[in-house]
Amino acid sequence: MFKKILVANRGEIAIRVMRTLREMGIRSVAVYSEADRSCLHVREADEAVCIGPAVARESYLHIPAVISAAKVTGAEAIHPGYGFLSENPAFSAACESNGIVFIGPSPRAIDMLGHKASARKIAMKGGIPVTPGTKNCVTRDCLKEAEKIGFPIMIKAAAGGGGKGIRIVREKSALAHEFEMASSEAKSAFNNGDVYFEKYIEGPRHIEVQFARDSRGNAVAFPERDCSIQRRHQKLLEESPSPAVNQKLRERLEEAAVRLADTAEYVGVGTVEFLMDKERNFYFMEVNTRLQVEHPVTEAITRTDLVREQVLIAAGEKLSLSRNRASSFDGHAIEHRINAEDFTRNFAPSLGRVEEWVVPGGPGIRLDTHMYQGYKLPLYYDSMLAKLVVWGPDRAAAIARSRRALGEFRVGGLSTTIDVHRLIVDSPEFNAGDVDTGFMEKLLAPAAVKA
Amino acid sequence: MDVKTLSKITKWMESTDLEEVTWKNGGDKISLKVNNTPEPHSKFSSSVVTVSAPSIGVFRFARPGKANAVKQGMTVKKGAELGVVEAAKEFKPVSAPVDGNLKIVSVEDGQTVEYGQPLFFIEPR
Repeated sequence: MFKKILVANRGEIAIRVMRTLREMGIRSVAVYSEADRSCLHVREADEAVCIGPAVARESYLHIPAVISAAKVTGAEAIHPGYGFLSENPAFSAACESNGIVFIGPSPRAIDMLGHKASARKIAMKGGIPVTPGTKNCVTRDCLKEAEKIGFPIMIKAAAGGGGKGIRIVREKSALAHEFEMASSEAKSAFNNGDVYFEKYIEGPRHIEVQFARDSRGNAVAFPERDCSIQRRHQKLLEESPSPAVNQKLRERLEEAAVRLADTAEYVGVGTVEFLMDKERNFYFMEVNTRLQVEHPVTEAITRTDLVREQVLIAAGEKLSLSRNRASSFDGHAIEHRINAEDFTRNFAPSLGRVEEWVVPGGPGIRLDTHMYQGYKLPLYYDSMLAKLVVWGPDRAAAIARSRRALGEFRVGGLSTTIDVHRLIVDSPEFNAGDVDTGFMEKLLAPAAVKA
Repeated sequence: MDVKTLSKITKWMESTDLEEVTWKNGGDKISLKVNNTPEPHSKFSSSVVTVSAPSIGVFRFARPGKANAVKQGMTVKKGAELGVVEAAKEFKPVSAPVDGNLKIVSVEDGQTVEYGQPLFFIEPR
């Protein structure tokens, strides 16, 4: 097993990873930019080194700086967290060529599954249903391709992610223009103008399945997560299990995830995302080859530690879970993403100093955060302050607990999304488990009018 | 409380490092709070120019196979290479930003340095 691991990330996810490392008796190394000297992950680590200026491109995203940091501190492995370098095949390759273990899949696997069009091919090879769409990237004959699928369609960037680079086209008159826009947008955002078409499913739910596979070929899948509550394709609230999935469907979803991991000969933890229509047909959407923000809901209902499994896999050891153990669960969990955003001003980022930070506690509460009173938010990085995760013996109990915890949560000095989460847990649709990816738009429509 | 007294108090607060002051006079009570957090790069005036590490890595006074020519007290020209930082098989040059006298050398050969760590101090000419 490793003696020392460098965590190539910042904020709450760096702290979350370090917690597991400490429990495993592994020393942790934090890296930080000049803007993050006072960030909590620097203090939580056993060692910390400054790797560059505030701009992420020259620090957290700068591969030579991160590799050099691992070299000088003698770290044997690097955990990338999520975002930054976590899904960058060049970084995974740089670790390999410098004799450092990358805690994540091989460069080849990231390349294959990270590029959406090639991930679709692997899914189809594994017999997993995919949304009707183009097999390859569309370069010409767009109208013919679009009509083959049938409107409405989505134009997606092959190298996209995080909801960026997606356009919906409802009729053929708008196609030419939207196609131009989508590919130039993709070119500037991802430096890759490739786009492909997919059928647009009305009122879908976003269902995803966490899987893990070790180097000996043992693969497991966990109960699904429902991430339908999104705002502009950015997840806001996630829960597990999904209120729309029964045990029979759950087994099929898990089976699909294991098949995908086996087909791709994937080593590591990953997530396969599906869209589910109103008739509960599910379609493959994409694979995330990293740990995800919402992984704690899975940990809460299955009583597992996914970071620990990642480290075990990277060390060449066996998964500590059997297929049965991974899919058995207890109760219900909900994650609330608490961001520094002002929802009355169209979720504009809120900047400033945390003047008051009073957090919820008690039974069934988990809070992953890097906040403390007096912390000044640097403006260079994302706006997530904390992940509030609640567990309850069933969904109604979990929602009641969410309501109680959100009521206890007091943040001063910044606008946060706490109030939005209160609106969500009080809405009849959410309580009935009857939401789709368009839910937030409908929920916020009256609030926007008031503001 | 009138504005005059208030401005007196705030003036006085600025001269201290207090963050919060509560003033009471009979039924009147006022609390003042200032944001005194220093900027990450607190500016101090100094005639000496700092040369800091351009990257995290291992510092060398000379590239492999070359002899070390850097000595404390020597005169340096703007742009002169004072050493290199080896980071992931790359050599990042550390060069003098000004003409001057190499006043202080605060790094040793083979030492691990972080980004932004001060390595040399030059007195400009």
